[in-house]
Parts: sequence; C-alpha cells; structure tokens
Amino acid sequence: MAWYYWAVSLGGMAALVAVGFVNAVLWLNDLLLISPRGQMMAANTTLVILATLLVPTLGGLLVGQLHRGLPRGRPHTPADAIAAVQTRRGRLPAKAGALSGLSSLVSLGAGASVGQYGPLVHLGATLGSLITRLLHLGRSEDNITIACGVAAAIAAAFNAPLAGIVFAHEVVLRHYALRAFAPVAAAAIVGYVLATQLLDQGALFHITEPGVPQPWEFALFLVLGGLGALVAGAYMHAVLAMGQLAKRLPLPTSLHPALAGALLGLTALWVPDILGMGQETLRFATLPGAYGGGELLMVLLLKLAATALCLGLGFAGGVFSPALVIGTLFGALMGTLVAELGGGQETFIFYAVCGMVAVTAPVLGAPLTTLLIVFELTGSYALTTAALASVTLANPLAAQLFGRSLFDIQLARRGLDLSAGRSRAVLQETRLTDLISHDAVTLAPATPLDAAISCLSAAGHGEAYLVDDRGRYQGCVTLASLETLRAGSEATTLADCPETPRPVLDPHSSLWEAMHQLEKVTGEAIAVVDNERRFLGVAYESSIARAFLHHSDALRREEHGAG
Amino acid sequence: MLARRWTPRLLAGLLALATPISAEVPNAADSLTILSWGGAYEQAQRRALFTPFTDAHDVPVAVDSYNGGLKELRQAVAENDVPWDVIDMTRSEAMAACEEGLLEALPSELAAPAPDGTPASQDFFSGALGRCFISHSIFATVVAYRRDAFPGERPTRIADLFDQQRFPGPRALQRTPAANLEWALLSYQVPREELYRLLSTRRGLDLAFARLQSIDNIKWWESGDTPVRLLEEGEVVMASGYNGRFFAAMVERDLPIEILWDGQLQEHETWVIPRGAPNPEAAQTFIRFATTSERQVALARHIPYGPARHSASMQVTTHRDTGLDMRLHIPTHPINAQGAVTKDEAWYARTQERVEALFHEALMTQE
Repeated sequence: MAWYYWAVSLGGMAALVAVGFVNAVLWLNDLLLISPRGQMMAANTTLVILATLLVPTLGGLLVGQLHRGLPRGRPHTPADAIAAVQTRRGRLPAKAGALSGLSSLVSLGAGASVGQYGPLVHLGATLGSLITRLLHLGRSEDNITIACGVAAAIAAAFNAPLAGIVFAHEVVLRHYALRAFAPVAAAAIVGYVLATQLLDQGALFHITEPGVPQPWEFALFLVLGGLGALVAGAYMHAVLAMGQLAKRLPLPTSLHPALAGALLGLTALWVPDILGMGQETLRFATLPGAYGGGELLMVLLLKLAATALCLGLGFAGGVFSPALVIGTLFGALMGTLVAELGGGQETFIFYAVCGMVAVTAPVLGAPLTTLLIVFELTGSYALTTAALASVTLANPLAAQLFGRSLFDIQLARRGLDLSAGRSRAVLQETRLTDLISHDAVTLAPATPLDAAISCLSAAGHGEAYLVDDRGRYQGCVTLASLETLRAGSEATTLADCPETPRPVLDPHSSLWEAMHQLEKVTGEAIAVVDNERRFLGVAYESSIARAFLHHSDALRREEHGAG
Repeated sequence: MLARRWTPRLLAGLLALATPISAEVPNAADSLTILSWGGAYEQAQRRALFTPFTDAHDVPVAVDSYNGGLKELRQAVAENDVPWDVIDMTRSEAMAACEEGLLEALPSELAAPAPDGTPASQDFFSGALGRCFISHSIFATVVAYRRDAFPGERPTRIADLFDQQRFPGPRALQRTPAANLEWALLSYQVPREELYRLLSTRRGLDLAFARLQSIDNIKWWESGDTPVRLLEEGEVVMASGYNGRFFAAMVERDLPIEILWDGQLQEHETWVIPRGAPNPEAAQTFIRFATTSERQVALARHIPYGPARHSASMQVTTHRDTGLDMRLHIPTHPINAQGAVTKDEAWYARTQERVEALFHEALMTQE
C-alpha cells in the first residue's frame, strides 16, 4: 500500500514541475519578445523584428547542442514513455528525461512551433519511473507510477483531472485496470488542486453560453470529423516526412534546429500567427470574423508546415498544442464556409471546437481524452456532444488510413508495433538471449550412427545437433530417426542421414518470433545460430512456452490483479 | 501559537509608534496644491481628506482639476515650473510618469501601518505600493443605462452595450481606448484573462475597433461629468463612466439610472508627487495622512470607491448623508466584482500612446 502514497505525492511533484514549466515558458516568451504581449510592450519595431529572427535561430542552436548529450541525439517524447510501459521493459532514464525537458523549455521559450503537453507528459512519466527505481518497485508498479506522473501533469497543465486520468489509461497504460485507477486518479486530483492554487492561468479556451446547433448541423460535424481525419493524417505525415528529409540535409544534425528556427522566424515576420505555441491564434480562430476564409487557409497551411519543420528538424516539443491550433483553424474554416452558405453564425464556435477535436484526437489516438478536455474546459455539454459527433468518424477513419496515433506510427517506424496490443508488444520486445541453453547434444557429422545413438541415450536427449569442426550448425537428428536408419539403410555416419528441415533462431530474435517458429517444429528445441551459422545453443520449446506464460501472467496480474 | 502570530505585528506597531517619522512633522508650507479630478469625487475628497488635513496640520489645501493625461505635467516638468504638490493619478499613468522621470520616488516607509500594527506592505492590496505612487482607492469604469429606456428587458452583460437591436439608442463612450477595447473583446466572449494578450496583436485591436464601429451614434466624452449629463438629458441611453459619479447621480440626485457591473474595469487611483513639486515634504505628509485606513474609510462614506488596503475594506460602512450600505456600491464588493476586469496598467503604461493613435485613426476619423 505504501507505494499508493508515493503515487499521490508523485502527483504533487509532477504538478509542480508542470506548473513551473508552463510559467517558465510564458515568462521566456514575454522576455524574449516572442509573445504578442512581449512584442507590444517592447515598443521598438526593429527590436521586435530582430527578436523574431534571432530568438528561434539561437534557440535552435542551443537545442541542437543540448541534444548532443542525448542517446541517438533526439529528445525523448511521450512515445518513449508509451514504449516503456507497453513493453514492460523500459525504465525511463532520468538524465535523458531532464535533458529533453530542458531542451523543450528552450524550444518553447524561443518560439518554436511545438507543443508543451508532450514534454510535460514525458517529464511526469520520467518522475514516475525515477520514484519506482528509488523505491525498488517492480515493473507493474513502475508502469502505474509512470501513468500517475502523466495523469498529474495533464491534470495540472489543462486544469482537467478527468482528462488526465483517461489519458493515462487510454494512451499510456492502454488498459483500465482497477488496480491502476485509484493511484492514477489520486495523482490527477492532487495535480489539479495544486495547479488551481498555483497556476493563475486562464483556461485554454473558455466559452460561455454557446448557442444550440440545429439538428442538421450534427451531420456537418460528422463530415467535419471525416475531413479532420485527413488533416490529422497530413499533419502526422508532414512531421514524419520532414524527419526523413532532415536525414538527407548536408548539415550536421546539431545545426538542424537552428535552420528550422531561422526559417520559422523569417516566415513569422510575414505571418506572426505561426510563432510559438499559438495560444492567441487558437483563440482568434474561435472568434467569428477574426480571420477571413482565405487567411484561415493560409495560416492553417503555414502552421502545419512550421510545426512539421520544427519537429522534423529537431526542436523538442509536443505535437498536441499545434494540432489544437491547426484543428481549430480547420474548424473555423469549415464554419466560415457554412456561414457563407447561409448557415448559423451563432454556432461558429461549434465548428471551431469540432475541428479541434477531429484533428487532435487522431493525432493523440485518444478520442475520450480529447472529448473530456473539451468538457472540462468548457463545461458545455452541447459542445461536447457536437465534438463527439466529429470524433466518431475522425478516429476510425484516421486509424484505418494512417494508424492509431502519431506516437504509434513513430514507434512502428522504430520497430515496435503496438497495433496488435500489449501482449504482442511485450513478446516482441523480449529477446531470446536469456533462454539459450547449452544443455544439448552436439555431434560431428562424421560420427557413426551407433556412436550417435549411444551418445544420445547416455545423455537422455532425443535430439542431437550436427556441428562441423568449424563450429557451424549442419542440421538436427532425432533418436527416433537414427533408430529407423540403423534398421533399414546403409548409412553409416550422421552425414549420410537425410536432412530434416528445421528452422533456426537468431540470438536477437524476439520471443514473438520464437513462438511463431515453434508452430513449424515438432521436437525438443530449436537451434540458435549466429549470422555465420555458428551454433550457439538451443532454445527449448518448454522454456519458450514458460517465458510466454510468464509474460502473459505478468500482464494479467498488472491488468487484473487486485490492489 | 497566538503569541507567535501576534508578536511581529505588536512589535511593528510599537516600532511605528516609537520611531519618529520626519514626514509626520509638517514643514512650514503656506498651502498645498493638489491636482485631482473635480466633480463629485473632488467633493468627497474635500470632506474626507482635504478639510481634515487642514484641521490636523494647519496647511490649507488648494485644488486644481484635470481629466487625466500626462501632457501638462510633462510640460510643467520640462519648464521647471510645477504648480502642484500632489497629483491624484490613475496607476497606469503613474507608472508611465514614473518611468519617464516625471515623479519623485516615495520613501518606502511613507505609508502608515494598519490600526492593528500590520505593516503597510502587508495591508495594501497587491500592486498598490509603487516606487513613485501609493494607491488609495479602487474605482471602476462601468456602463450605466437609463432605467426607463428599455421596457421589458434590462441589459445584464457588457455585450449588451453593443446590441442595439435589443437595446436601441445612442451610447456615450469615453474618448480613450481603455475600457472600450476591453468591452469590445468581451462582447466576443473572450475570457477576461486573455484580453491584453489579444489586444497586443493587430488582429485583436482590429476586432475591437470593428465592434466599436458597429455602434450607431456614439457620443464621445472626455470629462467625467459628461456621461451623467448625457444620461440625465436623455441624449444617450447607455454611457460609460466612473462608478462614483453614477452613484452620486443615482443617490444624491435620484436620476433613473442603473449601473451594469459586468465588465467593470477596475483601476487603482494613486497619490504621486511631481518632480520639482514646490513643497515635497508637506506633500509626503499629506500622502501619509490620506492613505491611512481611517481616511480611506472616511472617503468610502462619501463616494463608493473601494479602499486600497485590507484593513479599510473591512470597515466600509454607510453613506454619510443617506445611510445607504456602501459595501453594495463599491466595485470590489464580491457581487459587483464577479465580471470585473483588472486593468493591466503595466500594459497601458507601455502602450498607451500607440494604442491611442490607432484608436483615433480607427474611430475618430469617422466623426
């Protein structure tokens, strides 16, 4: 039970980190003349132009240097937290977490078009993992404390505890075990209470008394959801494609963010709406008349491109806030079109919010969380049901066309396929190395049949593995086949035996592959060879099955075990 | 526990009594010239502050009045001929004037502690004590309407100021961006916390200007008495103005007007000493006197301005002449403050001139 209390206090710590992070970003934006307020207060046009150009560029330069201290030179993101939890393998390294957090702070502070919630989720998760290590807890507890940190960070940053709880279950844990619910909920509540006391920040969006949409408008919200899925797909693929493109740039990786910063600053001189997290842009997109139709389209495209540029070229930050902005701009564009066709101007906000949800829910792979964020931030049941209409089409369509979420697509590209659920992910991530046994009979191909039979009988095994004098694996013979041969053929040595085709395994194969190979084998074990076919040992069928049962049991205990 | 909590306050109180403060001894000054805002406000100040000050310190007070702005002060300081000892200034102008070097810095111990010994720094509201100013009251710019103008329905939200279909008739608005821009954006349902962030963009300003331009028949006012007169004479049906003046018109002159508290723009009113003031020491004595809890409470018995210190807010009682409960009429009362906007004076201090120029370009050229 003690770790429950730890989970709760972790909620408090994650919330404090989240509050500190959010305030530090706002402070930096004002100080570095990135926020409109900072620019307005500066009162010096030349200074503002210089800041718009130089701050993102120099910020990028610093971010590039920070990333040199990270494994594989890239910042850690919520995808890493998801992978750690889903494979039950990972502990989140504290140094990489802290460095990624710092680099996100610099990125956001310098006005990069990235989000702040991703870094907060990762920081919360890293804190959770750190606590588990300090307390010497097991994998299952590790996963739940990671979820606690994530829930508290979301609850604190959005002032939305329910969304925090559901996000932790929906995106990170991917199960709704009762065992995890209580600590996650407690952490989220502590985070929320602390944040409301400390973070004197207005809601992300705040809508009072929205009108009531006409019944036929719900059909439009549904269509808007479908189109939103396409925008979400374009956004995700732009981010990924820019990442691929970056690999071909004739520039050291550590300078990539500076290049992105310079291009962003240059464009922002022309369209300032794309700079930073885009809170003002998001707000304006919810106000009818703030943007013209053409302007909405232009800002939408530029914001999408700017975010892909910043994230693809190595700025650290999340994908959620820019998706919120892009989605809202898209919804506003639809609302403007409907208004031009004679639809109600009073329900403009519904289109903006539906667009926001239709784009962000597929990107996060979290329709419930996104709906709850809308509900907790607006307190409007009408808006939430309209948003529900748009996600019913947006998420399935996007999942069909692109994948469950940007995180899952990123992980799949790194070789971790989460599309078939946790158990497969766990088996895929478990390596065979630990299961290799040397308790096997190895014989030279020149061994006479009689000697081989006696050797097998003496060792109490039914199978022998043929290994030549250079240590190469040549095949496998069974005691039964040898006996048959001795009775009715002229073969005198093992080399004369007809070969029985049998698969071999690589020491780096996953448990998942081993399970698959077992389907083709009737016998005791499968030989394990390296890439030059040198014999390394065998993996017994029974030990593969035991490992499978062990992992399934651990998953079952984590998801269904009480207390 | 109790002793631990009270000891610092007791000590502070005793220290305050024991330490001779030079500012308390008035220097010989023939008279003190104070620049204030005229009208009902000046009357209230005369009764609650100026006359008692003369009685206590034997220094006659002369009063000049102005409509705000720094132009005259700037000129007077430049010519080294400042005719005022103390100025009653809005906090945003005080901040701007302080930054421009038009004001004397005030000693940090100038404000008196609360009657129970609580140090001034803890008793005054946050942001009330500046380098060059001490806030004394919190007033509000509000919208008032004629009760008889809209049979059947009354305005309840600030957005109703712009809704001439439901509430037809001319409006009177102050010829400044302050309050008008905030209300225009509030009418789009922008949350209060985001007003100044949005007004920092050209898009936000244009949106606000568009809303103001959509009003038919605006009468722009400059002097605080004008909106009351325009409402009284029936020239407009809704007008922005200072809550104190509207209160005086409602209570003392029984005019059929009502205050719409939603969207009220709260602002601090401060005392400052201009650079090169003729009697700076007497001016300091006056400021210490006028910002005591006792004098703030006395002022709130004449005019419904919220005192700028906690100890005084707790003691606000009834109107001196009519016996009305003044707590219901001060802007900081919880019921009235529900939809209040706190004026971002730091923002105005830095942006006033640019925003004003844009405001005039957008709205005044149409007249």
